[in-house]
Amino acid sequence: MPNFLETTIDKFTFKVADDRIYTHAGVWAQVEGNRVRIGLSDFQQQRSGDVAFAEIKPVSTQLAFDDEVAVIETIKVNISLGSPVAGSVVEVNPAMTDAPEVINQDPYGIGWMAVIKADDWEADRPRLMDPQTYFAHMKSLAQEELNKG
Amino acid sequence: MSDTHLPRKVAIVPCSGIGKTYGSVSREAAYDVTEDLRPEKTQLVSLAMLVLGDEGARAALAGAPAVTIDGCKLACATKMVLESGGTVTKDYAVLDVYRRYKQFKPQGIAELNEGGQQLAHALAEEIAEVVDNTLAGTEGEKNG
Repeated sequence: MPNFLETTIDKFTFKVADDRIYTHAGVWAQVEGNRVRIGLSDFQQQRSGDVAFAEIKPVSTQLAFDDEVAVIETIKVNISLGSPVAGSVVEVNPAMTDAPEVINQDPYGIGWMAVIKADDWEADRPRLMDPQTYFAHMKSLAQEELNKG
Repeated sequence: MSDTHLPRKVAIVPCSGIGKTYGSVSREAAYDVTEDLRPEKTQLVSLAMLVLGDEGARAALAGAPAVTIDGCKLACATKMVLESGGTVTKDYAVLDVYRRYKQFKPQGIAELNEGGQQLAHALAEEIAEVVDNTLAGTEGEKNG
């Protein structure tokens, strides 16, 4: 179980799991040997709204870093998510088809999206943010949204 | 159960989420059922009036099963009907309905796009069937 960095902005509480790293767009990556499990951060799922559909690239899809790995349609927006790692999709969470709302319910747990077999994780890793850096980035984005009113 | 014990009308209670696409879908579906598909078998009940504790709105729920249509997961319509002592025979969440009709993507707020109107109509058709089954005594109930 991860520990969480947590902040409350206005009436919203956002959590950042400290056992994985993040893209600027709020995709998390958790390394498991040469495989990388990916999902959406709590901030990004709350900001995007309830998920209606999640289309994940199918198993065997070859991805470069930041290639589109998923398209999420929520009640507010459609978002295209870039892969945090170059490699091949080896597993897609079946819940993405049957119950994509798990992204909202448990973004760091059963709401994971896919597992990618990394081509060169050590090359991609420096392009991602550690939890503390993402936490600061996320707070800044949340504050910006709040200021927009 | 004999026919004399069956309700004569079903209350339709949509979300009041003004300014939200899914709230607009819920209201359009409610209007479709109560004005066009089953006007003689249904009665539109305003969620806002229920929230205000309006006697007329509460009376409309007394002895009448309700179909609720919620625009978001807060499920205000369902909660308010139950809190008002009503009986929910079927509760719909627009997002769940949309998942079944992916081809009808709702957009717009004050005025729904064509997809939103088609989604509302598909939902209204489902509700009309529930209304028929309820009045025939074959639909389940959830009590407040």
